[in-house]
Amino acid sequence: MADVSVPSLILFIASIVIAAGVAGVLIDTVTGISGALDDRGADVADNIRTDIEIISSAESGVYDGTNQTVTLYVKNTGRRTLPATGETFDVIVDAQYRTNVSVDVVDGGDEWTPHGVVEVQIGDLNLGTGDHRIALTVDGDEEIFRFNL
Amino acid sequence: MGFGVSGSTAVIFLGVLIASGTLYTAAAGSAEQISDARDGDSEDLLDRRNTEIDIASVVYDNDSDALEIDVRNTGTTTLSVNGTSVLVDNEHEPSASTAVEGDGGTDVWGGDQTLVINISDVSAEPDRVKVIAENGVADSNSTVEVI
Repeated sequence: MADVSVPSLILFIASIVIAAGVAGVLIDTVTGISGALDDRGADVADNIRTDIEIISSAESGVYDGTNQTVTLYVKNTGRRTLPATGETFDVIVDAQYRTNVSVDVVDGGDEWTPHGVVEVQIGDLNLGTGDHRIALTVDGDEEIFRFNL
Repeated sequence: MGFGVSGSTAVIFLGVLIASGTLYTAAAGSAEQISDARDGDSEDLLDRRNTEIDIASVVYDNDSDALEIDVRNTGTTTLSVNGTSVLVDNEHEPSASTAVEGDGGTDVWGGDQTLVINISDVSAEPDRVKVIAENGVADSNSTVEVI
């Protein structure tokens, strides 16, 4: 009797251990996927809630040739408060990525709340006469501003 | 051997149950967040489509350097006065005093009501005035009456 029971017991324990291992890996993987799904959902929801609008008119006055800067007013028409820093914006001027971007809240307060307006200054721009195109991207929302000098 | 098979099946089944529970919670939460955001977005879109503003008159007083802008809400969306922005010659004017139908303290700018915006210290006659509602709908006027 003991001859049969011992191998059976070993096989039983082995099968349980393997099953537990498989279940453990499954739970671990699915937990990872769930976490990623949760983060992705929050990111997509934030992107949907984000909306900005460039309110400056396309006049040549937006470009200051002396200081080589372009000044644009941007309104937060979405539902989220956005950080009013240069890092919030991805700025592309005439197909070139620009990093010298400063942002100031112009209608009072420290934060760029919904309905608020910020002044975006893009520096180090040596623009000649002709048509120019500025693309501002905040959390997936892209706004295009075209003007002529 | 029989116990081994049923035992391991039970363990794996339990694992699948826990995993699907976790996945469902995350997927449902995520879907709810996105659907909420989409709902809000479509409401905003509807509000935007129902919004229209019209600058009725722009009067510049040469003696007192004051600018008065009368804007009528010709849409059906009730707008926020504090959310409205004014650009004079492409420069933002944050310090404007406002009144809706004579009431200077209100933030409610309803349909068919006229918002009067007064800006002081405008040194020269402006060429162009632009008023932007809270949701980005704008109107501009280049006809400035000088008194």
